[in-house]
Amino acid sequence: MRRNVVVPWLATVARLVLGGVFLVAGALKLPDPAAAVRAVRAYQLLPEPAVAPVAFGLPVIEIAVGLALVLGVFVRTAAIASAVLLVVFLVGVGSAWARGLQIDCGCFGNGGQVAAGETAYPLEVLRDLGLLLLALGLAWRPASRFALGVPSSDPKEYSRAH
Amino acid sequence: MPTDSARRQTNRERLAARRATEAAARAHAQRRHRTVLGGMVAALAVLGALVVVIVVQNHRTATATNAAAPANADGTVIAVGSADAKVTVDLYEDFQCPNCKAFEAESGSTLAKLVADGTVRARYHGMAFLDSSANDQYSTRALNAAAVVLDAGGTDAFMTFHDLLFANQPAESGSGLTDEQLAEYAGQAGATGSEVLAHIKALTYGDWVKTATDQASKDGVTGTPTVLVAGQKLSDISAAGLTAAVSAAAAG
Repeated sequence: MRRNVVVPWLATVARLVLGGVFLVAGALKLPDPAAAVRAVRAYQLLPEPAVAPVAFGLPVIEIAVGLALVLGVFVRTAAIASAVLLVVFLVGVGSAWARGLQIDCGCFGNGGQVAAGETAYPLEVLRDLGLLLLALGLAWRPASRFALGVPSSDPKEYSRAH
Repeated sequence: MPTDSARRQTNRERLAARRATEAAARAHAQRRHRTVLGGMVAALAVLGALVVVIVVQNHRTATATNAAAPANADGTVIAVGSADAKVTVDLYEDFQCPNCKAFEAESGSTLAKLVADGTVRARYHGMAFLDSSANDQYSTRALNAAAVVLDAGGTDAFMTFHDLLFANQPAESGSGLTDEQLAEYAGQAGATGSEVLAHIKALTYGDWVKTATDQASKDGVTGTPTVLVAGQKLSDISAAGLTAAVSAAAAG
């Protein structure tokens, strides 16, 4: 019984942290689109025609996922989407690290450029792994306090949690 | 044996229970319906936002096809020194970048000597990625001013202006040099006249600056200063490292 009281509160905290990070990360990429393009290009993973659409579209997806999590609507869907995004980010950062590229992840805006020896790959990977854990936890147990919506896949889970 | 009234009671209860189950199922179906509908509306909204944002950002990053380019530049590159020099050195710098200032302070005069004696042709690639509202887009204003000087005074004036701006670089978190200060350094470098300040203020070569910055990123440059000697990235950018790499390239 105690678990059923505590878990929804933990889910609320996870929602706010994960959603908050995605909201901020998305919003910071909007004011300087040219920098967003350079940040994506710096990974040297995408063909040139795909660079700009990804750089301009990614923040919209991040903000949508962040909003859903913070408001508490479509939580399981948003949690799965954020887990997918985080895996993509981890692959990107990991491959940049492995290839010895000197870039900043561009996670929170900026142009992806850093001076030699100012990379922060371990920290970026750890942060993304931590957020990935939160996302997976939320996808598993999406029911939470202070949520506008009801988890669509299992309303019984919700009523049991209350 | 149950009495009549008792039997009626259980029948009523059974009926009520069935009705409650049906109502719950209906409510569940309704909730499902609402969720599916809400999901579709949300998905459409995200899709619409995607299209709008991509169009707007494309528009914001677009440069005019007939954008003004300064005279004496080779595309977005400013080449200094003899065209038959044995070694080409490419430099990617941002006027607001402190590490570029440090590089210029340590290795700038060494490079100038190598250019002067005809060993090196230096190709300056300007970048403007350290703009902020605090420095009033100083990176862009400074590179635009350098283009104005290049256009009005040629590559010698550009080099003098380039050295002046690094020697007098404003703090990275500071407010940047004003347009008037930029025009004053431009005058010291040999680009005088009332239109110099006008072009600095109007960001006449703003699109050229955007194109140059984008080109540097396409060249694979992800940090400043980036120095290439004969196309190879130089990791030791000290004066000694530069001299050694240039000698090796000249010999080879």
